[in-house]
Amino acid sequence: MENTSQVPVTVLTGFLGAGKTTLLNRILTEQHGRKYAVIVNEFGEQGIDNDLVVDADEEVFEMNNGCICCTVRGDLIRILSGLMKRADKLDAIIVETTGLADPAPVAQTFFVDQDVADRTKLDAIVTVADAVHLSSQLVDHHEAEEQIAFADVILLNKVELVEDNDIVKVNDRIRKINPFAKIIKTTRCDAPLDEIVGLNAFSLDRVLDIEPDFLESDHDHEHDDDVTSLSFVSDTPLDMDKFQDWFGNLLRTKGQDILRSKGILNFKGEEERYVFQGVHMLMDASPMGPWPKGKDRSSRVVFIGRDLDNMNLKEGFENCKSA
Amino acid sequence: MNADLEILQKSNKTELERRGSIFNIGAPAIEAVTIRNQIAVGFGDGTVRFFQSGFEPKTVKAHEGVVLSMANYADDVLTGGDDGRFLKISSDGNIEEIFNFGSKWVDCVATHKDTKVCSSGKTVYVWTKNRDKPQTLDHQSTVAGLAFDKKGKRLAVSRYGGVTVWKLNNNKWTSSNYTWKGSHGTVTFSPDTKYIVTAMQENQIHGWRINDKADLAMRGYPSKIKSFTWVGDTPYLVTSGSSDAVCWPFDGKEGPMGRKPIVVANGGKELATFVKALNGEKAVFTGYTDGSVLLAEIDESKKPIMIRSSTGAEVSTIAISSDNSQILIGDMKGSILLSSLWADN
Repeated sequence: MENTSQVPVTVLTGFLGAGKTTLLNRILTEQHGRKYAVIVNEFGEQGIDNDLVVDADEEVFEMNNGCICCTVRGDLIRILSGLMKRADKLDAIIVETTGLADPAPVAQTFFVDQDVADRTKLDAIVTVADAVHLSSQLVDHHEAEEQIAFADVILLNKVELVEDNDIVKVNDRIRKINPFAKIIKTTRCDAPLDEIVGLNAFSLDRVLDIEPDFLESDHDHEHDDDVTSLSFVSDTPLDMDKFQDWFGNLLRTKGQDILRSKGILNFKGEEERYVFQGVHMLMDASPMGPWPKGKDRSSRVVFIGRDLDNMNLKEGFENCKSA
Repeated sequence: MNADLEILQKSNKTELERRGSIFNIGAPAIEAVTIRNQIAVGFGDGTVRFFQSGFEPKTVKAHEGVVLSMANYADDVLTGGDDGRFLKISSDGNIEEIFNFGSKWVDCVATHKDTKVCSSGKTVYVWTKNRDKPQTLDHQSTVAGLAFDKKGKRLAVSRYGGVTVWKLNNNKWTSSNYTWKGSHGTVTFSPDTKYIVTAMQENQIHGWRINDKADLAMRGYPSKIKSFTWVGDTPYLVTSGSSDAVCWPFDGKEGPMGRKPIVVANGGKELATFVKALNGEKAVFTGYTDGSVLLAEIDESKKPIMIRSSTGAEVSTIAISSDNSQILIGDMKGSILLSSLWADN
């Protein structure tokens, strides 16, 4: 199916009280001239007045496909398939996840289910974080770390309640977990909607937007189960076979701990750039046009996950350099 | 496109397209059921339309959003929608609301004689004769498929992790679980009621022999199986999901265990999306991702017949009138072909 017919899906995560519902209400009530469907999970929050609000239960299904950490959102497959049967075309779909949800099954759904992948596309994972409470939530809850780690966009909300130097600290803490997410500081989630919906952040060519500044490998060791990021750059072209062997094996064996991976690769003998984008053990990769003239052909990879220090990532990546 | 090419394409119409009628509804055709000589089709704009040869289709505005599921109920049709309504609709346009689930979708519908069944979320609701209030059957996860056996004695409910088979004895429902890892969708009983089969989230179908719960795993498909149909006396379970109609033999004690399926009606690079038996014949209609439909005997040495040419939209439903005289084919762009199956009709 053509890409143009794919409806973009924005996944909204964030702890209870961070401001997800405020954001949802804004999306549904602001005059944006678009038709959205919103899939909601949590009850007891303020009602949302819109015809296309769909109730869902978070049903996480294990796939019987040999991929040991592969789980998908069964309810999402059912609801997205149903929405795609509508006669009127939706401009976007927004999926709210519960405060304690692991974002991985949602993201994996878009890699695993062919009908979902044909008719919709994961546009971006947007995480609403509470500037006041994020630091303590990161200590107490794995889920908070995961929601930051998976995000393409982080709304650092309630900044009006926090001193400036504390905002810098929270910002740095987020950067340590996730170096490539876009951080937007907000009061009552007042970011422009076009910075939240319709971003195409999951598209492979957005991998090329990885900012080299964030790729300085600056890595303080904390607890083993902390989510951190590591990144590597190489100006020596890589050997495609060696890279595929190493990376394939890495995702197969360590995919449970690698939450997200992204990269741009310069393979020896190839004129085109290769880009990839992964969620746990699943990955999309493809050639993405020639290198820009006059710019360095450097390969860059980023990993976000747990226990990254024990994966020999640096050594593995170095070994992929062509002789 | 130039004029010559258009003429050429027109002349490429199939025999059934030449003698039939084509309707462009503009909303995806979701499901079709046969009511005597009418065929009722549920669409993605919430309408149910009744098609009959020689008449203009009758349109009933039934649901707000999508008609998600349908079943025939004597001379009426039951529908479930994404507006939470479970409806009984007659071809004269009369709508009776059986139940309103509010913001929850009505995903599946099934009937047997006087019994009306639907599912919403994890619960199945059963209305038996002379009962105003439904009985409820609860499950661990959202119900993805419903099927009665031929006599209406058992109701199979597919879900995550397998199938629950319910039996009604002295007004009480008892259940038995058939387990297989993974998520199970559409479900069917074999005509002799010895097997139940489901289409899975993975690219495979799964079956159980009912008396000993022996598992049957039927794999090797390149895509998800969206449709299956029982064909002939053997019978064969014919499935979509591949570039051919894949026909599994369910005869003998072991059914398809350890046997290879017969493959007919090759669609080239297109994948089969819908299959429908031709009643009383060992033959099947197979619809493909490009909108084309082939009729094939379950015999690898026979050539299939082109019934409908490509429309560019995947075939989502095929139905045949109860007297076997008319065929209706619908696709995801809402194009409907209604035609007589036989030349002298």
